[in-house]
Amino acid sequence: MKRWIAILAVIAIAAVLPLLLSPTGYWIRVLTFTLLFAAMAQVWNIIGGLANQTSLGHAAFFGIGAYTSTILVLKFGISPWIGMFAGGFLGGIAALIIAVPTMRLQGHYFALATLAFGEVMRVIANVWTSLTGGPVGLSVPFVPPSIAAYSFKQLLPHAYIALIALIIVTVIFEAIRRSAMGYRLRAIKENPAAAEVIGIDTTKVKLQTAVISGVLMAMLGTLYAQVAVFFDPDTVFSAASISIRVALIAILGGVGTAIGPILGALFIIPVEELMNDLFSSGAAGLSQLIFGVILIAVILWRPRGFITVFDSLMARFSNKARS
Amino acid sequence: MGGVYAVISIGLTLVYGVMGIVNFAQAEFLMIGMFVSWFAWAYLGLDPVLAAPLSFAVAFGIGWLVQGQLIARVLKAPSVAQIFLTVGLLIVIENGSLLLFGSQFRSVTTSYQTMSLSLGALFISVPYLIAFGMSLACGLALWWFMRTSWFGRAMRATAQNPMAAQLMGIDTALMYKIAFALGVGLTAFGGAVILPYVTVFPGVGGQFVVLMFTVVVLGGLGSVAGAVVGGLAVGVIQALSSLFFPIQLQNLILFIVFIFVLAVRPQGLVGASR
Repeated sequence: MKRWIAILAVIAIAAVLPLLLSPTGYWIRVLTFTLLFAAMAQVWNIIGGLANQTSLGHAAFFGIGAYTSTILVLKFGISPWIGMFAGGFLGGIAALIIAVPTMRLQGHYFALATLAFGEVMRVIANVWTSLTGGPVGLSVPFVPPSIAAYSFKQLLPHAYIALIALIIVTVIFEAIRRSAMGYRLRAIKENPAAAEVIGIDTTKVKLQTAVISGVLMAMLGTLYAQVAVFFDPDTVFSAASISIRVALIAILGGVGTAIGPILGALFIIPVEELMNDLFSSGAAGLSQLIFGVILIAVILWRPRGFITVFDSLMARFSNKARS
Repeated sequence: MGGVYAVISIGLTLVYGVMGIVNFAQAEFLMIGMFVSWFAWAYLGLDPVLAAPLSFAVAFGIGWLVQGQLIARVLKAPSVAQIFLTVGLLIVIENGSLLLFGSQFRSVTTSYQTMSLSLGALFISVPYLIAFGMSLACGLALWWFMRTSWFGRAMRATAQNPMAAQLMGIDTALMYKIAFALGVGLTAFGGAVILPYVTVFPGVGGQFVVLMFTVVVLGGLGSVAGAVVGGLAVGVIQALSSLFFPIQLQNLILFIVFIFVLAVRPQGLVGASR
């Protein structure tokens, strides 16, 4: 009961917050991207946290989603809302294509294979100029603002859509974690051989998570395309700024927990923005350098993420309350 | 070209073989090696190929510190922490050099740069030949070191069974430091010998990272002999694909080979199945 009140309170704060920020300002943009990246990290968490397969190629699905919906608008005038599901479908197929051969791989090998897959998609998007516009990128065409056309004058509706998306993917994550599938995944994570013996089809379960994660990631790609309005292959298929970043957010926050990606995004995205703000006048690379240093420091300090800080604080708090 | 690929990749495979860690920052040490060699050429007038041992030494020192101070702490952590520690290292090294050296492209001029030898109908460019020769010498030296020296044997023992090695009185922490430093040193050495025909800038590691991983995976992660075979194979694949496909697709072909090999034969072409 207490838990539910806490969750509702957090959602209420998140729902009011965008209203307090200037609708044309800089911070609403930061907030929108924080929510969007939290959602992306949560989607990564389904495969990275629950199935324990560290994917470094989620940009592949993300980019597929962004390109599919935008190309459908440009060539056929189809609303991005529909394009989002088309992108999700293709993202699921892509996830199947990469997951079938690589799901048996573990740890470092799987990370390498998915990293390469993301890069394959980036190269294809750069070369297939007739469809994607090549390295020049695509602009989402301007249409009169309406909900049906997924076009708004301000960022405010985008912030709310990102918030709703985050809530939806978090609910999906929790639902999977608590379902029979979640227990199967945990069994596989603890001991794959034993899981096989008691009759779990490990490959099938892992494939399911990969496809769910791919579909959702592609759908978030559409949300990104609508907010960013312009993108090119090197942004949406980027290994560093999409694949690695979303994994990082989930890891810094706490892998395999529903709250982890949200904590991670609340930390990383504003910190990045702040760095860019503070040091953009200074030498190139400084903000990224500091970002890397923070990353190393956090991993050495808390290899299991911020969630452990949170937990130990809570433990100390409840101990005090008891004594 | 294949011989050079072998040397820069041996470092990666050595680190994995001994410590079980994939160093995502490995290609950054190639960049460090190239920069050391470039500065040696620009300020000391040293030929880049002669500066290769210097590159090796600098990277060896950095590797020693990185292993002792950072990586040693995550050796027992989940693989996720290991992956992201080296990814963090990659970001730090790349942007650190961007900060120190700026983003301009630098190259060296040597007397033999445009020379080539003709062997019948075959023309071989001299800088490529020198790079190949140096790589070969370096690979042989490593092989000799691993086979015959006490350190080599101790390191192989550590790779096979760290606990047993420790019980035999081997300082495994020291072995890890040597392995990591040696691994990144070799990659830096490779960076120095390719300097005559590759320009250096802070992002140069990114151009080689796929290539290195493809070489290593082709040969089997952790296998030094495999890296040599993989290096030659990748050289041949590149040469062949440039005959049939436009240059932009060259990397794509490598990627596809890479994923295919991972999926079908993750232990590599020459590796024994474990």
